Amino acid sequence: MYGIFMESVVILKLYTGLRYLAPLYLAGLIYLLITEKEKRIRTLIVYVPMAILAVYLCPLFRWFFVWMDQGGETYYRVLWLLPMGITITYAGCRLFAAHKRIGLIVMSLAVMLGGTYVYNSQYISKAENLYHIPQTVVAVCDYLKENEETDYIQAVFPEELVHFVRQYDADIGMPYGRSMLVPQWGYYNAVHEAMEKSEVIDVEALLEATRATLCNYVILHENQPLSDDPATYRMELMSNIDGYLIYKDVEVEQIIIEEYLPYM
Amino acid sequence: MIVFQVLSLIIWLLLVPLAIGLLPASLLNSRQQKPGVILLFGYLIMFAVFELMAIPVVLTVNYHGMTVLSSWFTVTTLGLAVAGMVSQAYVRRKTGKPLLTLSGQQLLDVGQRHKITMEEKIVWLIFLLLVGFQLYMAFTRASFDGDDAYYVVQSLTAQQQDVLYRREPDTGISTILDMRHALAVFPLWLSFIAVKSDIHATIVAHSIIPLILLPLSYLLYFQIGRSLLGRKRDMLPMFMVIMALIQMFGNVSIYTNETFLMTRTWQGKSFASNFILPAVLWLFLWIFEENTEKNTEGNIKVSILWILLGAANWAAGMSSSMAIFLTAMLSGALGFFMMIRKRKFMILVKTGLACIPSAIYVLLYMFLS
Repeated sequence: MYGIFMESVVILKLYTGLRYLAPLYLAGLIYLLITEKEKRIRTLIVYVPMAILAVYLCPLFRWFFVWMDQGGETYYRVLWLLPMGITITYAGCRLFAAHKRIGLIVMSLAVMLGGTYVYNSQYISKAENLYHIPQTVVAVCDYLKENEETDYIQAVFPEELVHFVRQYDADIGMPYGRSMLVPQWGYYNAVHEAMEKSEVIDVEALLEATRATLCNYVILHENQPLSDDPATYRMELMSNIDGYLIYKDVEVEQIIIEEYLPYM
Repeated sequence: MIVFQVLSLIIWLLLVPLAIGLLPASLLNSRQQKPGVILLFGYLIMFAVFELMAIPVVLTVNYHGMTVLSSWFTVTTLGLAVAGMVSQAYVRRKTGKPLLTLSGQQLLDVGQRHKITMEEKIVWLIFLLLVGFQLYMAFTRASFDGDDAYYVVQSLTAQQQDVLYRREPDTGISTILDMRHALAVFPLWLSFIAVKSDIHATIVAHSIIPLILLPLSYLLYFQIGRSLLGRKRDMLPMFMVIMALIQMFGNVSIYTNETFLMTRTWQGKSFASNFILPAVLWLFLWIFEENTEKNTEGNIKVSILWILLGAANWAAGMSSSMAIFLTAMLSGALGFFMMIRKRKFMILVKTGLACIPSAIYVLLYMFLS
């Protein structure tokens, strides 16, 4: 039980990022507990969140949640039930009701210094287009669509592009997608194995895997070390877009045209 | 083409929800019939209706699912919008005043008696600048999230291939329904907007929807602030400025609802944490406001709010099965404590009734899984 309790505490710590917004929330909660006169607000903003926090820390509840969620990776979402921002703000407004200008400055500084500026996040970058995906992906996908004679496109991409391809064009198939990029999920895919697991790609092994999944295109970065020249395996270099080499697998293309297209 | 696209977005993201919101708003007293409230009502109902229509289509229609869903939802929502407008005409005839007027006083929702001072105007301006900045950043900055490779691809697949949850998002191959996600139809709402406006679903998700969902969240915070501050309306602009700053500086970890709002606005998880859960709190704050309870015609009016709480609980399912559990948990906790506070068992009964949609959803989920 103690172990389960400590897991919840760790998740709480991770949630707060050990920044000062969490203590600020706690301070706001205590302040409202002492000073708030209106029972409706006391109940909804103070008592209920305190009860939810207690339930969150309760090992039995966590056990139930993990059973229900089949893993409990999302346990932190219980903390969404605590109206942290609203409580901090309301408590600040009450505290500085008589000195609004000072209150606004003090509260703004407290929030800015106690928090983390979202636009400094490593995950946020200048959008290259309205899709908010790399323009290289758009260019490569457009090239494939324009140059493929059939409607069939099955392409393998380097990891850095995998997330975005099907966000741009759901008609383009891939032998593997994002799930393969999350190591803790533990999936296996032969193409991914051949493509990403060694520094130098063994072209023969890669093509054996891509041909088994009827991939008619292979996209590789121009700096990617290869064991052999793909051209020796009936791979036709179609283009180089932003440093990505687009290879067409003539052998697979032939199989598609002769054996599959009549039934598509 | 662009004119058509913009017009479609205005119709489906603003006018239709507003018109639908007129329907419940017509049962409130005139003091409460504000444009922001009407829009929030409309969205709550619209999302609940979408969930109601999408689940049977997802479960039973193998091919052309988006076409079927889009047709059903279009007819139903337009019907509700017309009903809303009829109720507006009825109220206008009865009271001589329209339900929806767009005067500055009404938009700021500050009440007729409160005179906005210059200082308040400046603070409001700061708030609007902060929100404007956030919208600008949402439009011009790309936020990477791995889950998009699932959710956004589902939206795009529905738009491009007219298939609902029957393609594996990673690879594009056919697959059976994954019940864990199939009942969470928020990506399909994005797809619906994409189909109606003829805009690529990924653009809808990443560039357009944040421009709607961010202001909607602020609209909710505005209503919550209004309810908390009561007559101290002069504090409202300060409340909103600090709330806006908290959204910008709440990225203390990847888990907070503020982080989700600013970086994953278009995902169902953000919708749950930043629209549904605050909506539940807002409705409870409103239901137990003194003047709501003592209102002579209160019964009908309070009933409307309870029904909307039910709609919020049902709409939570658009996000995920976990969101519906959390929404019911929050509703239950708020209802339970208010029952103790008021010593009225009926509060818990009404909360239970409002959570019936959640129970149906959970049973459906368990049955199908």
